[in-house]
Amino acid sequence: MGLGAIGAAIGEGYTAAQANLAVSRNPKISGDIFKNMLVGQAVAESASIFALVIAILLLFLDAPGATPLKAAALFGSGLSMGFGAIGSGIGSGFPGGQCCLGISRQPAIGSRLTTNMLIGSAVCQTPAIFSMVVALMLIFMDFSNSPLFPTWAALIGAGMSTGLAAIGSGYGGGLAAGVSCDGIARNPESVANVTTTMLVGQAVAQTPSIFGLLVSFILLFKTFPESQALSASMALLAAGLCTGLGGIGPGIGNGMAAEGAVKWVARNTSRSGDLMRTMLVGQAVSQSTAIYAMVISLVLIFVL
Amino acid sequence: MGELGLVHQLIIPVFGYTITLNLEVIVMTWIVITFLIIFGMSAARKKDIVPQPLQVLGEIFVEQFYKLTEDALDREKARKYGPLVCALFMFLLLSNWLGIIPHLEEPTKDLNTPLSLGLMGFVIAHYAGIKSKGFKNYAKEYFQPIFFMMPLNLIGELAKIISISFRLFGNIMGGSIIILVVSYLSYSVILPPFLNGFFGLFVGTIQAFVFTMLTVVYISVQVK
Repeated sequence: MGLGAIGAAIGEGYTAAQANLAVSRNPKISGDIFKNMLVGQAVAESASIFALVIAILLLFLDAPGATPLKAAALFGSGLSMGFGAIGSGIGSGFPGGQCCLGISRQPAIGSRLTTNMLIGSAVCQTPAIFSMVVALMLIFMDFSNSPLFPTWAALIGAGMSTGLAAIGSGYGGGLAAGVSCDGIARNPESVANVTTTMLVGQAVAQTPSIFGLLVSFILLFKTFPESQALSASMALLAAGLCTGLGGIGPGIGNGMAAEGAVKWVARNTSRSGDLMRTMLVGQAVSQSTAIYAMVISLVLIFVL
Repeated sequence: MGELGLVHQLIIPVFGYTITLNLEVIVMTWIVITFLIIFGMSAARKKDIVPQPLQVLGEIFVEQFYKLTEDALDREKARKYGPLVCALFMFLLLSNWLGIIPHLEEPTKDLNTPLSLGLMGFVIAHYAGIKSKGFKNYAKEYFQPIFFMMPLNLIGELAKIISISFRLFGNIMGGSIIILVVSYLSYSVILPPFLNGFFGLFVGTIQAFVFTMLTVVYISVQVK
């Protein structure tokens, strides 16, 4: 929860700062901008609300006969949601802020901008939703039949994998969404192309968090043979960490590629097909590091 | 909370192997298919210059997705892949919306549906790539930029299937799990309709569109 609040606070701060800038540029429509800022902040906050739900669940859940394994699961669940909310919180602040700026520039297309902002920031929430799914599974699944060693490591690893990987994806998706609001404000005619490019770019930027989710699922559902050796536990923990940390960079990088593509689609709508293809090729290359991380994790899980 | 992760399965043993059928998913998929067939037939039954409301709806779908395909591919290929793209979107849209009706479940909530659709898109994209470039040029791309990058390029291609199908699956299943848990915690007061509206209608539409667009874009990357 604490971790989750960091992201939402930064995101909302960014939105508010941009809203101030927007009001000072075009004071006449400060009412509209203010309304829009609140909507944007509300969406940015939803990631931290997810974290709040998980935190409340963790606090008030009566775990009968809490075993060390259940404790590990709950700890992993908190980690997953906390880390997962950071990126989405920051990310969905960007479209909110850019949307305020856009409205000050082009008050006439306010509703179109707000729609685009809502779509963009809703997609930014996807990594946070993934981490919430993993968190809920960790809370509610029944692990009582699994051996403590090395399952504890698998559970914490599962939490970290999705949680950490979601940071980059959430942030990257936010970059694309933010610049799309800016682009629509500059060139309202390009709205269909910009929104399509943004969605595809964000979707690809989310891929690292999907790899994180995959590794988490494997760690959650695979039954591991009991072993007291430290290396077995550590391998599983490292598998989670590897995909999680490996996903941060590609997530942000893919977001930047999407940001560039969306920006130039807005300026040069007729070449949107070429731009999207270039963006995808670039993203595929920058994603390869996330894929390497996932391969290493799978090797750690299945081979070692 | 016991219903979390419960699947009704029919397990048929065949010559030492077992065939597992997820009954609910099959039934739900058939509901979607039946609805789409009825919609298609009634939209195309009386074609007229002054269209019926259903015909207008059908035309909107076909025209929009035809245009999107034409933007990403070219005119000739759009004629070929346009119907596929349009049908894929309509199927996914309806599948994702099905969950807002009580007692019905989204077929996309089960990993098998998105995974098979993802595999289908993958096969089609590579078929289109081989057909337009010839097998030699197609195979050569795996050895870019240096020959020993081949295994990594191969894994990168396979990772596309995982990412496209898990994205849809994760979003839809995540939404329904969140709805289930929040409804349970709030004793189904006030919140569930809004959550259904957000996760069912809004996220469902966006994810259906994203899945369709990604399939188109994968084809276009292979072709060009």
